[in-house]
Amino acid sequence: MLNAIDKQVLKEVADLEGIPKGAYNIRKNGALLGREVSANINIETNEKGDGIIIDIKPGTVNESVHIPVILSKAGLHDTVYNTFIVGEGSDVTIIAGCGIHCGGKESEGHSGIHEFQIKAGAKVKYVEKHIAIGAGTGRRILNPTTKVFMAENAQAEMELTQLGGVDEAKRFNDAKIGAGSVLLITERVMTEGNQTAESRNEIELAGTDSKTNIVSRSVIKGDSAQDFYVNLTASARCYGHIECDAIIMDNGINQTVPALRALHPDAELTHEASIGKIANDQLMKLMSLGLDYNAAVNRIIQGFLR
Amino acid sequence: MLELKDISFRTPESGAGTQSPADRTIIQDLSFTFEPGSFYAITGPNGSGKTTLAKLIMGINELTSGSIIFNGSDISNLSIHERSNAGIVYGFQHPARFKGTTFRDLLSIAAGSDDEDKLVEIISRVGVCSLDFLDKSVDSKLSGGEIKKIELATVIAKNPKVAIYDEPDTGIDLWTIGPMVELLKREQKDNKTTTIVVSHNKAFLEAADTLLLIREGKIGYSGDLAGALPILEDLSVCTFNELCRGEDNAQCYR
Ligand SMILES: Nc1ncnc2c1ncn2[C@@H]1O[C@H](COP(=O)(O)OP(=O)(O)OP(=O)(O)O)[C@@H](O)[C@H]1O
Ligand SMILES: [Mg+2]
Repeated sequence: MLNAIDKQVLKEVADLEGIPKGAYNIRKNGALLGREVSANINIETNEKGDGIIIDIKPGTVNESVHIPVILSKAGLHDTVYNTFIVGEGSDVTIIAGCGIHCGGKESEGHSGIHEFQIKAGAKVKYVEKHIAIGAGTGRRILNPTTKVFMAENAQAEMELTQLGGVDEAKRFNDAKIGAGSVLLITERVMTEGNQTAESRNEIELAGTDSKTNIVSRSVIKGDSAQDFYVNLTASARCYGHIECDAIIMDNGINQTVPALRALHPDAELTHEASIGKIANDQLMKLMSLGLDYNAAVNRIIQGFLR
Repeated sequence: MLELKDISFRTPESGAGTQSPADRTIIQDLSFTFEPGSFYAITGPNGSGKTTLAKLIMGINELTSGSIIFNGSDISNLSIHERSNAGIVYGFQHPARFKGTTFRDLLSIAAGSDDEDKLVEIISRVGVCSLDFLDKSVDSKLSGGEIKKIELATVIAKNPKVAIYDEPDTGIDLWTIGPMVELLKREQKDNKTTTIVVSHNKAFLEAADTLLLIREGKIGYSGDLAGALPILEDLSVCTFNELCRGEDNAQCYR
């Protein structure tokens, strides 16, 4: 049921060599391609029929669920609303992501809204990779949204990656972090050519002793542009840190705007932001170990986006 | 054999406008020959030009005049990586801090291989770095001593013919200095590495076959440690005399 293009996309997006183990839901060109549930992880289409509900039973540990999206139909702009209910005390990995294969002149796009309800004491790792491949000239557009609601003492680690191929990306991350909960977000974006990518983040440290660390790594090549905004709001005693680094190559442009807002006297919020070319001392070091200029640049970028 | 022939390095004086091309000479007509397989220590006051000299040899700084001959060929116009691949490697006084790049990355670039066994073998040969450093990110979180150990290991991993270490002992604890000297001696002996150590540390000055004293961009002395001692003593004499001798100033401000 998977053709060669599907397989290539799945490999790039989810590191899958075919159908995954455990629970999964594969969506292709706006329709269901395959679904498997497990004893602890149920997946069903939502009432409106515009997405799925992934329901993870309380106490489910060491399980994973794959929900990749394949887009290979010219002119299609697919929108979904998926809800993840991560039950109390569970510990799971969710592999999402969208791969566009563009073969023609028409644009293709996917807008995925992922809502997470992370219950008390749950631990979730969410890995989302966006790619676009194919020889077509149509614009490839990806507009992901994540909405995260964390109860008490939960942990969520979100890795959001887009390394090339996507012409236009508008991301929105919205999170509300409950007492004692920890949210870690790492976003890695590489753009080139005339691509644009924008990421907006509204993060609220809502409960006592909630924590967050938001890391953004951007590489901006060619004539591309990337903008990164974070509004970090603290409404309780909490700790939050934002770290955004952008490396500009060629004629890339970047705007990085980290904003901190403390609405509680015991809030501790910090940020570091940098925009610049590859550091000269890093280049000198790798060249003094035998790499030529271009190889040194590649290694530094590779490490930076890892 | 590494020959420095009348090398000079000048930079535009900072603050000087474009109209006044007042250049500052940092290395001045310096000539010296490093014999293969020998151990050299370079010392001298802060700002005398030791790091600049090392960077000229590595190709990080460009010669203003003069030439550098390595094993018979003129390397003055070779780029950094070409010199490195010809066998000259420099360990930085202030090593670069990366984001994301790990010690494993640096070692495998230097060794030209990412084979696990090979990397482990290098680390145990170097000794001063623990194995759990391997997947550490070489970033600003490393302590001053840790990053210097990593820097040293990456130089050794490249198996250089000429290794230049710029103050390898900065931030290194008392228990590691001895083993570090031993390590460089062993590398010199086993691999015939021409070893050049920039240092103010007695342990390295004593380990060297030849000591070079750099003063104001020139070689003030070269020879054995015994011969250098009177000059080193002399250098330690207070040079702030004129300042302190003022009429009302009974106190030393140094
Ligand atoms: N690229 C440069 N441009 C301008 N000035 C420089 C440059 N490189 C070095 N200098 C100056 O040259 C002098 C010698 O510097 P260098 O770093 O070689 O000293 P050093 O002997 O290694 O000192 P230390 O013992 O403190 O490491 C210093 O005054 C420094 O400010
Ligand atoms: Mg120096």
